[in-house]
Order: sequence, then C-alpha cells, then structure tokens
Amino acid sequence: MTHDYMSFSPSTTSALGSPFSTPSTRELKSDERGIYLIQLLLRCAEQVSANSFDQTNQCLEHISMLASPTGDTVQRIASYFTHALALRVLSSWRGFYIVLNPPPPTPAESLAARRHFFDLCPFLRLSYMISNQAIMETMEGEKMIHIIDLSFSDPAQWVPLLHLLRDRKEGPPHLRITGINEHKQLLDHTALLLSEEAERLDISFQFNQVVSRLDNLDPSLVRIKTGEALAISSVLQLHCLLASDDDAAAARKGTPFLTSRNSCSIAQFHRIVQMSQGTLGELLEKDLLLNGYSMSPDSASSSPFGLPPAPKMERFLSWLCGLSPKVMVVAEQESNHNGFSMNERFMESLNYYAALFDCLESTMARPSAERMKVEKLVWGEEIRNIVACEGVERRERHEKLERWVQRMEMAGFGSVPLGYYTLLQARRLLQGFGCDGYKVREENGFLHLCWQDRSLFSVSAWRRRRFD
Amino acid sequence: MAADSSSSSFFRIGDEFNNTPTQPSATPSSSGPPPPPPPPPPPLPAKKKRNPGTPYPDAEVIALSPKTLMATNRFICEVCNKGFQREQNLQLHRRGHNLPWKLRQKNTKEVQRRKVYLCPEPTCVHHDPSRALGDLTGIKKHFCRKHGEKKWKCDKCSKRYAVQSDWKAHSKTCGTREYRCDCGTLFSRRDSFITHRAFCDALAQETSRLPTSLSSLYGNNNITSLQTQTHLRPFDIHQPQPQPMFFGGGSSNQIDQSLHGLMQQQQQQQQQLPELQSNQNSAAHLIMSSDQFSIGNGGGDHHHHHHQATNLFSGNSLLSDNTSGHMFNQQVMPQMSATALLQKAAQMGATTSSNTSSLFRGFSSSSKLDNETQLQNLMNCMLNPKPNDTLTRDFLGVGSMVRNMGGGSMSQRDHHHHLHHHQQQQQQQQQQQHQGMEMGSLDHSDMKSGGSSSRSFPGGSLL
Repeated sequence: MTHDYMSFSPSTTSALGSPFSTPSTRELKSDERGIYLIQLLLRCAEQVSANSFDQTNQCLEHISMLASPTGDTVQRIASYFTHALALRVLSSWRGFYIVLNPPPPTPAESLAARRHFFDLCPFLRLSYMISNQAIMETMEGEKMIHIIDLSFSDPAQWVPLLHLLRDRKEGPPHLRITGINEHKQLLDHTALLLSEEAERLDISFQFNQVVSRLDNLDPSLVRIKTGEALAISSVLQLHCLLASDDDAAAARKGTPFLTSRNSCSIAQFHRIVQMSQGTLGELLEKDLLLNGYSMSPDSASSSPFGLPPAPKMERFLSWLCGLSPKVMVVAEQESNHNGFSMNERFMESLNYYAALFDCLESTMARPSAERMKVEKLVWGEEIRNIVACEGVERRERHEKLERWVQRMEMAGFGSVPLGYYTLLQARRLLQGFGCDGYKVREENGFLHLCWQDRSLFSVSAWRRRRFD
Repeated sequence: MAADSSSSSFFRIGDEFNNTPTQPSATPSSSGPPPPPPPPPPPLPAKKKRNPGTPYPDAEVIALSPKTLMATNRFICEVCNKGFQREQNLQLHRRGHNLPWKLRQKNTKEVQRRKVYLCPEPTCVHHDPSRALGDLTGIKKHFCRKHGEKKWKCDKCSKRYAVQSDWKAHSKTCGTREYRCDCGTLFSRRDSFITHRAFCDALAQETSRLPTSLSSLYGNNNITSLQTQTHLRPFDIHQPQPQPMFFGGGSSNQIDQSLHGLMQQQQQQQQQLPELQSNQNSAAHLIMSSDQFSIGNGGGDHHHHHHQATNLFSGNSLLSDNTSGHMFNQQVMPQMSATALLQKAAQMGATTSSNTSSLFRGFSSSSKLDNETQLQNLMNCMLNPKPNDTLTRDFLGVGSMVRNMGGGSMSQRDHHHHLHHHQQQQQQQQQQQHQGMEMGSLDHSDMKSGGSSSRSFPGGSLL
C-alpha cells in the first residue's frame, strides 16, 4: 500500500486514502482546498492587476465555487477578498459600479460590529488599557485633564479611565474630552454614556464634540485652554489621513489612477530615490516644521528616509505636536497596506487578515452571528477598501510601526517607552481573557499585540520632544 | 502650568505603589486641598504644616553625617557609658549617679526656628536644601529605607525592610487582610483591588460568554477518546531521529503517513513519546495502553493493522468530528490555520507561471507559525524520503522563501530539508527564526530590506 504524497492539486482529492476513509479525506480536503483557494486568489489578483478581464472572470467563478463566508478560515477570507477584487474590476465601469456597489454599513451597524470586535478579540481592549495607563501615568498629579480623541465612538475606551481617575490617590481631576468623529449620532450616543458614568462616579466631566472628518478638520474647533494637561488618543484612526495625500500626488503627476497605476508607482519610486539625495535641505525644513510652519505641498517630502510624501499627515501631526500634549497614544494596525501596487497590498493584507480571521476561528464557533458581523462589517469593509479602492477613497492606509515612528519623529514627537508595569497589566488582561494564542510583546518601548507571534497591532506613546 | 513633566519612562509608577508614601509626590503639581492637619500641637505657637513641596524660606537647614544620623545613642553617660537616645533620658539617668542634672526645657520664649534636615546621600533628591525634610525621625527613616541595607525580612512573604518599624507594621498585616479578585489575583491594598476589579468586572462578563480555554477542553477530549481507543504505538516516521508526534491532534495525513511508516518498517522501536497538549495523565494512559495493545507482528497482519487504523481514525473522527456543542472542534489541531496554509502555499511554490511564483515569494513570512502547525505543515508536505544530498539547506527556517521555483522534485527536497532543519530548530527559541522570517514586504519604499539574501526576482517587475 503506497501513499502518494504529491503536490496538492485538485485532481488528487479523491486519490488519497482508501482504507483510511472519510475523516482523512475530509480533513485533507479542507487543507488542500485551502491551499488551492490561496493559489487561485493570487492568480486572480495578478490577473486583475494585469487587467485581463476574461481570465479574472474565470478565476472568480472558480473561486466562488469554493469560497464562502460561512466556511472555514480560508474560505471566508477568500470570499471577502474576491468580493473586493470583483468590485475593483467593476469600478472601471463607473455606471455598473455605482449601481451594484453594496452600500457601506450604517454608522449604527459598524458601531455594533465594532462592539463585537471589542468583545471577541482583546486587541481593542488592550489598546484602550495601554492608552489609559499611559495617560494615568503622565497625568499624575494633574488637576485638569483634557483628552482629544481622534476617533471618539467607543465608550468602552473611556469608562475604565473614569474609574481609574476616581480611584486616584489624589482624587479625580476635572476631565474634559473633545471627541472627533464624522458621525454626530455616534458622538452624542457615546457622550451620553460617558456623562452618565461620570455622574455616577462623581467626576467633574465635560464633553466637547467636533463633528468632522480628520482630513478636513478645522483646528479652531478644538479649543485648548491654558492650564490643562493635554492627552491625545488615536486608536486605528490616524492612517486615514494618508489617503488625502494621494490626491495631491496624483494631481502633481497628472496620471489617472486605475489604469496606469503600475507605471505611476515606478515613477513614484524613482522620485523618492531622488528625493532622498537632498537630505540637508529636508533636514532644515524639518526645523521649520517643528515650529508649526506648514510646508507647501510642492516641497513634497520631508523624509529623506524613504517615506512616501504625506504633507497632509505631516501638517496634522505638527499641529498636534504644537498643542504640546503631555502624551499622545497611537494604536495602529501593524501591517503595510499602503503599498503603491494593488498586488503588494493584496499579499500583505491576505497575510494580515488571515491572522485576524484565525483569531476568531480559534475562539468562536463558525455559525456565530457576532463573528460574522465582525468579519463582514469590520474586516470585510477594510479589505474592500484596501483592495478595491484607490486614491482618496482608500482610507485604510495601514502602515507598519517603523513608518509611524518616522512620521511622528519628523513631526517633533519623541517616543515615551511604555513601561514594564503596562506590559504586566496587558498580560494580566490577556490571562483574564482566557485564550492562548494572544500575546503582547514589547519592542523598543512600543507594545505589539500579537496572535501567535504575528504582530497585528502596535501601540506607542509620544510626547513633544524638547530640543535642549 | 500644563508643563509636560520630563518623565521619560513610565516605570516610576510601580515604584510609587510599592513604597508607602511618606514623601510628597515628585512632580511639582498645582496645589490641591492641603492634607489633614497633624494632631493637636503642643502649647506653642502652632507651626502650621504647609503643603508638601513648598519649602520654608527661613528654615534652618541641618545636614548630619550618616554616622550622626544613624547614631542610636547620642547621649552617653560619663559615668557608666550608657547610651541614650534622648537627652532627657540621660538627665534622668544621671540622677541615679547623684550627678547634677537639669532637664532642659523647650525654649518657649523665642519663636522656634524651623529645622529642616538633609539626606546625607549626595545622589538623593533630598540632599538639596530646597527639598529638605522637616522631621528628624523622618529623615532617619528615609535614609534607612532608601539608602540602607534591608536587614529585616518578613517571615510570611519575601519582603525585606530596612527600617524596623516598617517591618513590624508589615508583618502585622501580612496575610491578614487580602482581597481576592475573581480572576484569582490577590491584593493587599483596597484601592488597587478596586481599580483592578473595575477592569476585571468587565472582563468577567465577557469571558463568561466566551468558551472556556482550548486546552482544558481538548485535554478532556483527548483522555476520553484515548481511553476508549487505546493503542497506537508511537511510530517511526522515516527519520532516524525521534520526533514529537502530535497524537490525535495531528491531521490524519500524519497518521496516514505514520501507519505507512509502520507498515514499511517492521521493527517497533519505542520512539519518543507522543506529546499531548495537556495532561501527563493521558500520556501515561497512552504508554500503558500501547503496551497492552501491541500492534501485532509488523506488517504481518494487515487486517489487524487495518483494524487498528480504523480504530485510530474513528478515534480521530471522534475528536475532530465531534459536533456535540463545544466550540473548538476542527479548530486548531486537526485543521491548519489560514496563516499556516498561506505559508504552505508559499513553500509549495506555484504550479503556475513565474509571475505567480514571484507573488508567492513576496508572501512575507512576517506571520509566523507556532511550532505545531509548522511541523504538521512540513510533515504533510513530506514526500517519499530521499537521503539528504548536497543541496544547500535553508537555514532560514521554515518560513523562508523557496529558492527554486522549479519542478516538484525540487520542492520535495526543499521540504525535506525544511523538515530536518525544523526539527533541529524546533527546540530553539523562536527569536532565532524571527530574524530569518522577518522578510519585509515587497514595498518599494520600505527601506528595511528583507533579511534573506536568497530572494531573487525572476526578472519581471512585481507589479
């Protein structure tokens, strides 16, 4: 009796295991199917970027026979990624796209889905806890605290902070939170919950709302009072700002996005290489930047280090730095989904979301509705954005921590290492959570939230750097 | 006033919690409500205690040397050389020697000048006159605590103290009053307990909805099915070295292969014990049962084997297909995770064009697998064994890029190598692999180039 282990291809599905009947072939099939799906996905992505419509069509059909949002991990991922790919192709036919493009979830739906994400995975909880811990430590002894939340929508972030403040040795401070969000109803809803909680805990609390997107935020709406200790929090939000820079870049180049994207990216690459040669000038400009001087868009990059230019982000970060916060906590997805070419983004995001989907696969049952919601409305939407959209629409511009570090440092921030105590608290939280695969790792003073050694989120803390 | 303090690390806070704070907080904060007034002062113009952190401008600064500070008996009787801590006590003692004595009274005529004391340790914050401490006993204790050797040890726990009164105070309360959170953490202080519990309450609600942890569930499963199924002698799987085999947890491919191996080889060496996820009990069961249940005469009795095999598989199916309501069936062990599959797909190379293979290569192995799935990975890929020949090994470990995207045979050998290498590496720390595996993405502008020099672009652009 010989077993023939060959490279997995669909034809071998039935060849395996005669006396080792049902369980083995079933097991094998799902893994094998997984591999096959992955191969198909990659081929499909390649065809999409090569603009070969017919082959893409075939590929999508093939995949759709195997993929399903209710199947195993790879099937689910495949279904969301192919959906995104199909939309991407469709977007070149504007009319069809507009008619058939599924509407994005309503704010209420995405809030509910995000709530499920908070419940099912510890990442949000950890980020909130780390950020609150950082705030507590910096704000020791402060009587007036002002927090600016760049993505204010989750009361679960701030309620624990209220508790921590109340239990503070020196008593609770006067707390003021400025929440920024583009949806008014989220702001209202969350503010109400927070005010009630603060009332219950007898903490003096004041809320200011700013209904705006980050990229067209009017600075004058955010009022800073003298005598306040300022903290800024950004949980999975900062990356959106990178989107608006694309418009400027495209305008400069004058090339439309979808079709000649390939050449565009190479050109950009060359441009970056050229720019990195002019370091001295850029370093000088960095000084101006630190004084809040806004740079003209034409001076392009302020990065001699290979960062793609992002003037809008730079301006925003310098403005924030200019407010002199005592601490700014940034939590971001740890993956590079901001590559120029769709293929790069596809591969990166395939790996990244595979890990995320694995998290849920190990902790929740397949038919679970909450899990479906998270996968569809939180991650599915992100995937759609990363793969199918371009330009200003593509807001999920995740980047790795090293890039964020560069950006923050260029804007004048210096990193504040998150201490050992915070790490301990994070680990304790994970213990309470009860699932084995999640880990917290510390690296250079930043914390990485991992699933099985793959870092999925990074949390970092910053303050204004002094130059003495 | 909102000056950001220059705290460069958040480490301090742990410290602060541990020390019973007798000193004012280090940050010069704005003035809040003053601390409660001290017990009724002696009949003197009451020296009002001001807020901590605001020094008295007209105080008399006294700097004592460490010896003087620590001197327990400063007042010595000249007759019998007995030492006393207070002068009053010495005077009273002198009465016994019929020596002239005088009890010196506190001078109530003049206003007493405030005395503040400096810590003799130059590196200490309180060495600076502007941060002097107002109380002699206080400075003594401070000096002991911070700069002294901890000679007093609590017998119940492991805490050590430099000041005897601290030690006494602690041993009175050690173990007497403890707060225990539902999650099992112990606290001695009420405030830290409450803070923690605010978190933990939230956690408790969430976790009560979540299924219990994987291992306990799986462990139970394992034991029951093992006991019913018994048997399974550990197998030799083509390799001279013993391997950890994930019994029951491995995918059936592995078992397939193992049985295959058994049938091929007639000897029944006792190999390394199959590793189970949880208890040693189940391992013990396994060993015992495997002894009882000898898998017969090598390849002789196929029926017997077959029977074993199906037993085994029905055992497996019990494990994996158990749909009786618990949530983890078919999850971690029998099926590979998506990240594992991605890795595997990358290793297997493409069956298609070189373009796709370049895509595969770009599969950043920034996601790492845990050992188990990696091993399964490899064992699944393992083909007919070929002896190691002189092909270069891939020392970057499992997740590295496959160098040749050639035909299937190449990849066979690569996998073989991976398996070998992997076995050796498996015991080592994952950090080692981390370097090899952290190949950056194929982003142009990502300056951190992937570590593998073996990466080769097949000419074409990635785009």
